[in-house]
Amino acid sequence: MSAKRAAEDSTYPAKRSRKNDDQDDYIEIDNEDNVIPPSPPDTSLVPRSATINFTALTRKLAEARRTNDKDISNLSSLEVHRRQQDALVSHIFNEQDFSWLHLKPDHTARPLWISPDDGHIILEAFSPIAEQAQDFLTAISEPVSRPAFIHEYKLTSYSLYAAVSVGLQTEDIIEVLNRLSKVPVPDSITSFIRERTLSYGKVKLVLKHNKYYVESTHPETLQLLLKDRVIREARLFSIQQDSSIKAATFTTSKAPVKGNLVIPGTKEAKKDDAPAGKQAGPTNDEIDEDDDNVHAFEIHDSKIDEVKRRCNELEYPMLEEYDFRNDTVNANLDIDLKPATVIRPYQETSLSKMFGNGRARSGIIVLPCGAGKTLVGITAACTIKKSCLVLCTSSVSVMQWKQQFMQWSNITDRQIAVFTADQKEKFAGDSGIVVSTYSMVANTHNRSHESKKMMEFLTSREWGFILLDEVHVVPAAMFRRVVTTIKAHSKLGLTATLVREDDKIADLNYMIGPKLYEANWMDLAAKGHIANVQCAEVWCPMTPEFYGQYLREQSRKRMLLYCMNPNKFQACQFLIKYHEDRGDKVIVFSDNVYALEAYARRLNKLYIHGGTGQVERMRILSHFQHSPKVNTIFLSKVGDTSIDLPEATCLIQISSHFGSRRQEAQRLGRILRAKRRNDEGFNAFFYSLVSKDTQEMYYSTKRQQFLIDQGYAFKVITHLDGLNEMPDLVYKTRDDQIELLQSVLLANDNEAELGSDIRASEGDLAGTVTSKDFGPTRFSAAHRTTGSLNALSGAQHMSYIEQNKSANKKLAREAAPRHKLFAKRDKDKATARKEARGQGS
Amino acid sequence: MRAIKGVLLVCDPAVKQILLVMNEKQSFIIDDLDDHHLVIKADEEYRVRRELEAELEKNTYSLD
Repeated sequence: MSAKRAAEDSTYPAKRSRKNDDQDDYIEIDNEDNVIPPSPPDTSLVPRSATINFTALTRKLAEARRTNDKDISNLSSLEVHRRQQDALVSHIFNEQDFSWLHLKPDHTARPLWISPDDGHIILEAFSPIAEQAQDFLTAISEPVSRPAFIHEYKLTSYSLYAAVSVGLQTEDIIEVLNRLSKVPVPDSITSFIRERTLSYGKVKLVLKHNKYYVESTHPETLQLLLKDRVIREARLFSIQQDSSIKAATFTTSKAPVKGNLVIPGTKEAKKDDAPAGKQAGPTNDEIDEDDDNVHAFEIHDSKIDEVKRRCNELEYPMLEEYDFRNDTVNANLDIDLKPATVIRPYQETSLSKMFGNGRARSGIIVLPCGAGKTLVGITAACTIKKSCLVLCTSSVSVMQWKQQFMQWSNITDRQIAVFTADQKEKFAGDSGIVVSTYSMVANTHNRSHESKKMMEFLTSREWGFILLDEVHVVPAAMFRRVVTTIKAHSKLGLTATLVREDDKIADLNYMIGPKLYEANWMDLAAKGHIANVQCAEVWCPMTPEFYGQYLREQSRKRMLLYCMNPNKFQACQFLIKYHEDRGDKVIVFSDNVYALEAYARRLNKLYIHGGTGQVERMRILSHFQHSPKVNTIFLSKVGDTSIDLPEATCLIQISSHFGSRRQEAQRLGRILRAKRRNDEGFNAFFYSLVSKDTQEMYYSTKRQQFLIDQGYAFKVITHLDGLNEMPDLVYKTRDDQIELLQSVLLANDNEAELGSDIRASEGDLAGTVTSKDFGPTRFSAAHRTTGSLNALSGAQHMSYIEQNKSANKKLAREAAPRHKLFAKRDKDKATARKEARGQGS
Repeated sequence: MRAIKGVLLVCDPAVKQILLVMNEKQSFIIDDLDDHHLVIKADEEYRVRRELEAELEKNTYSLD
């Protein structure tokens, strides 16, 4: 359960006393077969306006009534006993004691329980009607945790706004909740739902002719908003007007009219005569039809997010929808999915949430790694068919996005442009797609002339759609700059892990929009879209020598010591052997490059880290993919995201980035797209090797939290059977272990650093794979040692032979070098050409 | 020769290492028998147990 609840609590006022409800909460059920009986009638005799917060008082009343009941002597002894026990237990729960909520008589058939305090909903996922309940709950609330049997959801303002915008009515929400709930829906919750849903949709933020307007069909609402200081200050007066009549300063225009929309790639698009817009929701259209005129005032670009936040506080959340089909100002982009492209059902669901009422709604879509986020983004762009800006975290992913666009859609090379530190292109024609990184766009200083020009190009025009990849890593300040400088009608954020270690997630809600859809990982795995994964945590005891040193060392070295623990080494060797024999392809991850090299060399396996050259890297990867002899590779942090290996079926983690839940999920994502996932009974394996009694235990548990919330269970393995019988086990003797310890102790302090192999290139974000320790980027300083010149020049007859060669070196070179004869001829040719040029000038 | 009242402590090798480090700060170990056994001063037993508990708790993650 989240610890951040306190803030939410105050927003759930309990407006009515419950005492009237208790008597008529229960209804007779005539038909026992009816699993979901109709909800009890809503009986409130006290007018809503005349009440105050009653939760505590209600509880007291309920308790008092119970004590009265106790006096009634005709209770069975069992019942008396139970009541006594209840009273004893009750004080343990303090404020959280909700035993005064009476269960409905047929509560076993109903799968829900709602906490009156904070809107958390507990769902019995094993109930026969759980699936329907889940569909409903994902529409109105946000999933918190979804393990196998009990799910937890949470009602928030944003989730309710999203629910209303897809067309759910306030009373329907309450009624369905009541039908599914074991206890009558608490009044605090019903009033919360009413309050949030009624004010929704009255105010809109629209972009017209490159200017932002706050729009509403009710001039009174605008007046009300303008009374607020923050909003008033953000208002921009473009035309001098007679301010004596306030309403006249609102620009008035004709309201847009809706039509029908079909998302490409869905089943609907495949049919010739698609039934008139199933996706078009009924709610928002009413506003348009009631009043042909909308009123608006302009606001300052730079104050957009302040105004948005303020409006949320005032409980007039601004609706950001883009009626792209009726946008005649911006040129259409001729883009469509290739006919062969079919999107999966959950991708369709997520998109239908975005285009729920025929317009593009801004928000965030959360899909697991390997579940096709890119395709969702591309399909959205193909639906809107306007100029589109794609922002991602690193220059590597810029190229990947471009390539994906070319692969899935019919866009031509001329229409898609790339804006990075090395490449600055513009698209041809009125509309097109630009792919760039966050920092290229948000950077405010030190620009080259070219980038400056490119930025002018980006800011001067209106964008129909802005796609934000990996939204969870972008720092809030950078985000604000992006959002305020680029004028976009709709925004879509994509991510796999909406978690941050610094709790800045809430900011995304008003900067982009609500979470539109979050896929259930377990569901996708069950349907074969992602692989089934068995997760395990292997506990490796520290050897006494290593642990003794561990206790005496400082934090940096400690990490190296628990990575290099000989028992971990052995466990790693054993697991690799075991899985290679099963026919698995194994990836071993280590954030620590020193450990990575030590392991890979000792176990004689190939490895890739940031320092590995591009050619060598490609060669190693192709060997891993195609050669039956290479079944294991070691990867450093470079492998977290940028390397795609659909062959891998087993993943072993020997060192990781502290308690980063995101990294854990990203790494799991490496095996989720396993090619063999649809084989009968196929399982991928995810091992975390953890040294016992060290900090690693703490981090490891913390890292797993996100995956546990997605329903993964981690088995703990304390002993690997058959480990000691294994032939040629490394570091078996104490002497070997002590030797290893010595080499670890000799290792430079810098070696203990994580991810020191990767250098961030310009335009990469801090906090992504390419940067060290997920913080500000640093570069390693020059390294100096002393030595005699004689020795260095080899005068002391000393030669160096590496006994423990890296397996990388043993790989056959790709092509034989050019024969000497030809090399000589090439050289001659080159010199001849040079001379000719010299004479010419 | 003076007799000291001692307690035999059976522990795993890792815990023994923690105890050795603690011993450097404030001596309480009478004899180091092997990887699993230590003899410590009887009147220090309570303090040692408590400090050990705190040390081990540091590596445990809780949701709060």
